[in-house]
Amino acid sequence: MPQDSQDSGQSPRPEELGGPDQPPAAPSTAVPASDFRDGASAPGEGGPTDQTLTFSTTLRTRDFFKISLINGLLNIVTLTLYRFWGKTEVRRRVWRGVRLNDEAFEYTGRGKELFIGFVLASLLLGVPFLAFVFAVQFLDPAFASLLVPLYLFMFWLWGFGMFTAYRYMASRTTWRGIRFVLFGSAPTYGFMWMGMQIANGFTFGWIQPVFERLLAEQVWKNLRFGDRRFRWNQARSESVGLYGPFALGWLGSLGIFIVAIIAFVVLAASNGDFMGDLASQAQPETAPKAGPTPMEWQIIAAIYGVILLLLPLLALIWSPYQAAVLRSISAGVSLDDARFDLNAGALSLWWLTCTNILVLLLSLGLLMPLIQARTAKYLVRRLRATGAANLAEAHQAPPGPKTAEGLADAFGFSLI
Amino acid sequence: MQGRFYDGTDATAHTAQLRFEAGVLTIEADGGAHAWPVAELSVDIHAGEARVSRRRSDARVILSADDWSQLTAGQRQVRSHSAAGGGGLVLGLVAAAVVTALVVFVGVPLASGPLARATPLEYERRMGESYDLQISTVFPACQGEAGQHVLQGLGDRLAAQAQSPFPIQVRAVHAPMINAFALPGGHVLITDDLIAEAETPDEVAAVLAHEIAHVERRHVMQSVWRSLGAGMLLDLVVGGGSGAGQQAVLLAGQASELSFGRAAETESDEVGRSYLHAAGLSSRGMADFFERMEAEEVDAPQQVDEVSEWWMTHPNTALRIQAARAAERDGAAALSPQDWQTLQAACSAQGEDGRGPWEITIPGRRPGNDPMPAKPDEMSQDR
Repeated sequence: MPQDSQDSGQSPRPEELGGPDQPPAAPSTAVPASDFRDGASAPGEGGPTDQTLTFSTTLRTRDFFKISLINGLLNIVTLTLYRFWGKTEVRRRVWRGVRLNDEAFEYTGRGKELFIGFVLASLLLGVPFLAFVFAVQFLDPAFASLLVPLYLFMFWLWGFGMFTAYRYMASRTTWRGIRFVLFGSAPTYGFMWMGMQIANGFTFGWIQPVFERLLAEQVWKNLRFGDRRFRWNQARSESVGLYGPFALGWLGSLGIFIVAIIAFVVLAASNGDFMGDLASQAQPETAPKAGPTPMEWQIIAAIYGVILLLLPLLALIWSPYQAAVLRSISAGVSLDDARFDLNAGALSLWWLTCTNILVLLLSLGLLMPLIQARTAKYLVRRLRATGAANLAEAHQAPPGPKTAEGLADAFGFSLI
Repeated sequence: MQGRFYDGTDATAHTAQLRFEAGVLTIEADGGAHAWPVAELSVDIHAGEARVSRRRSDARVILSADDWSQLTAGQRQVRSHSAAGGGGLVLGLVAAAVVTALVVFVGVPLASGPLARATPLEYERRMGESYDLQISTVFPACQGEAGQHVLQGLGDRLAAQAQSPFPIQVRAVHAPMINAFALPGGHVLITDDLIAEAETPDEVAAVLAHEIAHVERRHVMQSVWRSLGAGMLLDLVVGGGSGAGQQAVLLAGQASELSFGRAAETESDEVGRSYLHAAGLSSRGMADFFERMEAEEVDAPQQVDEVSEWWMTHPNTALRIQAARAAERDGAAALSPQDWQTLQAACSAQGEDGRGPWEITIPGRRPGNDPMPAKPDEMSQDR
């Protein structure tokens, strides 16, 4: 009977392993190159175990049809209570389809954790919120004056919830058996999020690019793979300009808005029937029952048609900005000497967005898992790293939160 | 058999020799050995690789899927790794869903009557004021003071026959639908379109009597409890999510609210008719109005939205017409021709645009969850 070692893995305990701790100087003797398709090691730069990072993906969008249908069905028969487990299984399948140096990532979260997190969040938030609603309805409408602080609190909570969701997901992501961990303060992130909303209100959105980087920094500078720190470099992030694409999106939206209003006014003014129709609706007694008015349906169809046309147009003028944000943030991140570059182009991102929206609309949201898979595939395929990182040296991180900090899922805003 | 072993303490890859015998997976790496009992194993096979993990361990063994099937051939089956949850979980969740549905569709409606009667009048009065304030911003009162006065007078005559716990306050409002609502605390609203649609004052009186009956029987508070109870529970289960499935569940909840409204509607028809009779008025207006509404739904598709709005909130047509015809009695006209003219003019005063915002909300359905800031100047007219 071979000796059993304790693979408890809850904390780094190298002395309990059956074998001697791996000497960092001699990894290649322990790991024959034929066994591991590790990325080319680069002994010239940095330490001897440094590796360049190569991302690849085995994700196939079509593999996600079946799970979309199964999740959809189970969500129906359980009044959507199944969603925590369904979402977890989708994450697991997306994660394992992403590879770094030809080793897959793994998602170790469980549906139960999301569920418990959701129950806790519902109790902690739902009960006070209901008390507020009851106070307004039954006791004194003056309680409604609490709405302003409540709105601000909701902004804060949104940011807080997002950060805790990131923290949970990091702790449930492993590569080569080593967890990611996100330190940092969720309340601080919440305040920054709240600050962004307020500042955006005063600047008509023009402060947004500044906050994109501030928020990304809060996440990336606090993220570690095991005990290896990611770092944030503001200057490198700023090497990808955001304000040019932002101006394009902002001014373009304004232009579309103005053109749409002018078009509507011209249409309404040139069409007497249209106004007459409105009048007859307003005062049925002056316009006794006539036949059906096809104009109404034409107008409704026209409005929906315009929205469907405008959506891709809006996505198009904003896509340079969205792509620049992706590039800017990935440029700001580094791990040891490895730097990242997400080669997302405006047109490819625009196409991804439009096709995603179309698939979601046509499937009534059912094919969400498929959207996640193809989005992940899009990102991983464009992710490159230069320089080397000492990944093999990473030691295990402390275990993450016991349950999902369920705010994000309680409000349904964690899309992944 | 060879594989890669990660020991869960650092990210170093170890070459490992693997054996699988007597229900134990043995991993030899770097001179040490690890024995993993099969009961604690799970395997995830994807992209030609088998990733083996042990329960409560961060360590992993990875080998080619072919090697794995060779290694485990003839051995006890290793559990497939999945987060999807087994049949037990699904059955449990289905059971939870059934219990939720029972509570929403049976428990809450049963409890709503006793709860409504137990609700202190003062609470309902305050709630009514709050609703009234909110609704008047969407459906502003008609400007014709004289017409409003006539309508309130008719309401008073009917209310005198009822044992309403609240003073009845009737008001004609601008709203793009043919309907009438009773709010909590005795506020009754009648839309301009309904007044325009009525051919005789008896029809308006019948609708008014019906709504006053809702107030007397405290149906309004029952409906509030039903939508609060059912809505909250469903919101809780669904989690306020915006997914299509989640929205579908919430819609089903609202549909159930409609079906439970039917008994209340029938009761209010009867009680309302008794007010008309007790006040010496004709009750023929009730069936007249119902019948015309039903006929118009068929004949005038351009009115389909307004009429179907009425039927959505006042279901069970054919039976109600039948009952109304069977029980109707002659009596005095509800209003003199002159008063009737005044009432009809209440909402068509010159110089106002006459319409509230284009709202698709169905008032009275699930009102009041978002307290809207009210404009006091719009309220002052009929107070």
